[in-house]
Amino acid sequence: MERRDFIKLTAITGTSAALTACGNPEHQVIRFVPDEDIVPGIAEWKPSVCPVCSAGCGLTVRIMDADFETMRNGQAGVVAIKAAKKLEGQPTHPINQGALCARGQAAIQLTYHPDRVTQPMKRSGTRGAADFKPVSWDEAIAELAGKLDGLSDRKALAYITRPRRSRRLEVATEFLTRFGAPAPIGFELFGNEVLRKANAASFGREQLPTYDLSSAMFVVGFGADFLGTWNSPVAQTIGYGQMRQGRAGMRGKFIQIEPRMSLTGANADEWIYARAGTEGVVALGIAHLLAPNNSGLAGFAPDAVEKVTGVAARKIERLAREIDEMKPALAIVGGPTLAYTNGSFHARAVNTLNAVLAGSGHASGIGFTPGADAVRPLRPSADLKNLSAQVLLLDDANPIYGTPKGWGVRDAIAKVPYIASFSSFIDDTSAHADLILPDHTFLEGWTDSLPESGSMLAVASAAGPVMKPLYQTRSTPDVLIEVAAKLKTPIAMPWKTYDEAIKAGFDKIGPTAWDDVAKQGGHWTAPGAERRSASDGARPPSPQSPVPSLQFVPPQFDGDVAAYPYYFQPYPSQAFNDGSTAHLPWLQEMPDPMTSAMWSSWVEINPQAAEKLGIKKGDVVEITSSQGSLRAPAVLSPGIGPDMVAMPVGQGHETFTRYASKRGANPVTILAPLTDTETGALAWAATRVKIARVGDADGSLIMFAGELREEPHHHHTR
Amino acid sequence: MIRRRLVYPSGASRRIMLTVGVCLLAAACRSRSAVSSTVYTPAHATVGEAVRGFLNLRPTATQPIPFPHKIHIEKQAMCTDCHETVERGPIAGIPSVKTCMICHSQIATDRPLIKEVTGYSDKGIEIPWQRVYGFTREAHVRFNHAPHVRASVDCSTCHGDVGQMTVAERKVNHTMGFCVNCHRQKNAPNDCMTCHF
Repeated sequence: MERRDFIKLTAITGTSAALTACGNPEHQVIRFVPDEDIVPGIAEWKPSVCPVCSAGCGLTVRIMDADFETMRNGQAGVVAIKAAKKLEGQPTHPINQGALCARGQAAIQLTYHPDRVTQPMKRSGTRGAADFKPVSWDEAIAELAGKLDGLSDRKALAYITRPRRSRRLEVATEFLTRFGAPAPIGFELFGNEVLRKANAASFGREQLPTYDLSSAMFVVGFGADFLGTWNSPVAQTIGYGQMRQGRAGMRGKFIQIEPRMSLTGANADEWIYARAGTEGVVALGIAHLLAPNNSGLAGFAPDAVEKVTGVAARKIERLAREIDEMKPALAIVGGPTLAYTNGSFHARAVNTLNAVLAGSGHASGIGFTPGADAVRPLRPSADLKNLSAQVLLLDDANPIYGTPKGWGVRDAIAKVPYIASFSSFIDDTSAHADLILPDHTFLEGWTDSLPESGSMLAVASAAGPVMKPLYQTRSTPDVLIEVAAKLKTPIAMPWKTYDEAIKAGFDKIGPTAWDDVAKQGGHWTAPGAERRSASDGARPPSPQSPVPSLQFVPPQFDGDVAAYPYYFQPYPSQAFNDGSTAHLPWLQEMPDPMTSAMWSSWVEINPQAAEKLGIKKGDVVEITSSQGSLRAPAVLSPGIGPDMVAMPVGQGHETFTRYASKRGANPVTILAPLTDTETGALAWAATRVKIARVGDADGSLIMFAGELREEPHHHHTR
Repeated sequence: MIRRRLVYPSGASRRIMLTVGVCLLAAACRSRSAVSSTVYTPAHATVGEAVRGFLNLRPTATQPIPFPHKIHIEKQAMCTDCHETVERGPIAGIPSVKTCMICHSQIATDRPLIKEVTGYSDKGIEIPWQRVYGFTREAHVRFNHAPHVRASVDCSTCHGDVGQMTVAERKVNHTMGFCVNCHRQKNAPNDCMTCHF
């Protein structure tokens, strides 16, 4: 280009750019008079409670002025509001102590999500098509009350919820009890029923344990991703950090035993591969060597353990020696290890190891958060198998996504004549609802949590709204209380509002407990009480008493070895856990810490197995179980057994906002409906599959550490 | 020769560049007041804005109602009565119509301009006051009123004698030199990070 032309071009583009800046002057934007007194530019911090998982971490929320686009009297404009802008861990909260995980950080997007349900809606199209039309709250509540009045059998009202212990859930339970319906079903794909039941037998507490990681010198993990997604990961990560680096001159050792390397396994000093379904045998092998009186563990001598697990006898002997030298030691079990058909065996085995450790001069590292009796029990997830109801209420649960086909939940839900959902988003299950009664987000309404573990203090977290609701939503417990009052024969609920129900709970704790809610977002018993409650924990047998006799219960897998040669392990993804946060774009954007994949599904395959099958990184593979098949790109990972493939859960939603709908594949769809033989909990790691390469890389695997995302064709040329 | 041409444009090029400049200035004078595209960019959204920013050209604010500062000050109102967050936060605050109505639900309710104010209030809409002072986002300047008020800097130091004006006019040019001079005189911190953070 000639220089003269260039200058001419600059003149033309420059002028037109300047001209586009004209028109639409700023003063034509209508500003509505705000409802709140706002000091612009000054931040306030208010306490809240993280809603994302059951850990119940304390939050502190940064509130500042913001402009919110809204409609008033049919007119579009903006209004200044006090808006939550950032979530951080609450520094004085006993569980997370100022820390917050990535999922918690992203929870702010629940409030500002562009696909939030902004008002009550009624189904206008066919079931499952997610066609809804707006209705008023009065209409919606009258309709639900009418449907409940119309029930001939009051037991035909079912309520599915996330089993997150809280007063919120107590309001629902109370409503159902007084109505005459069965207790809510607490649905959780990665539930912990196996460990709770085992702890009831071992320690007399049907509860998840709280681990004293910070004073341990040796930690041995069995499948539990306790630094990533399992139980109370933030609290456990803090304790783990203390164990490794928090004590001058001492560094605790950590060994993880599992067939697929989890995020936690990647942090270990030593990662030990044990055959799927045999991890607990390693625990008993160690216990066999450490217990003074091991006649009950006669079958678990090192050589026998090697035969079952594939872990060398010498390695087990070395482990036992190291553990014995580095007191105190602690064993942790969870995740896929408890999700085989013999999950209860593994839980018992590791509890036995902990008892042996405690009996041989190690301090017990297991405790239980007091106050477990604060909420009534829910029905287990497995009750979804026999779901038959006339009216179904869905509260923060997505069972169509998270149950194997064999449970028949989709068909059961299709048969329910009337479904109402309290969801803020249209997900796979809410798409089948007849009525949506959207809840406030945790920032807009009251919120509370009664964590089951993570602290040796009794923790009750609660917080009031930190900002005004953005839309026409209502707090679900308040809606239930209102529905109760609108029935033909009204039910008298003990509280008029949700916050009254929370306050009633705090008043039971102590006279000053309620005052702490406004101050710090909850009440926890003073540190003086800590020692006493810690003794609620493991009651180790005396050193002389024999270890109870245990027999290996071999695991069963769906699919015979010849046809389906690979174990299939779906696992909670670091970003989405069980898929409930897949609609948050920050988490879609977050690279998986093990693979760096984002916005996608993938299948982890051992490089040896991949070579045998001719699979390269990014190639599309088909995984087939007896239940069906799915396709996803392959990621080669040396941290997985050559007889196993693994896949993160979280993607593959049919419907879940613009960010997660029809993205990737859902591994739950090919799971066999096997259960733990003792507790009936879903054995989600008990399916066998076959793999086949079906095509070249299609660009659906997006890696942070890899090719440029803008140039997916690079996948093909490599 | 080549180097010379690069540094000093020929007569023809100079004429073209002059034309460009005039076009841009013309555009600048016509376009809206402050800024800006919705996409974050450290640069100016348009060339026009860049030119205006460089030459410190800003359109005069036209207010929907000719608010008489003078009358209010004569009636013993204080600046902080209406610009009420000036002592507490970074922004003095253009008062909400709610603030107007604290007095004008009672006082001078029959005057035509007050009726206009009442009209806004009844509709629940803020009076679309235009900003008179303020930095563009691209200036990368952050200003906080509160410490200046605490240091007893008089409002008129930076805003002129608004008490003698009807609508506020920009009598003081907030250039970097203006700020730095005052900071030097008063021994206030003068490093870059004081304002550019």
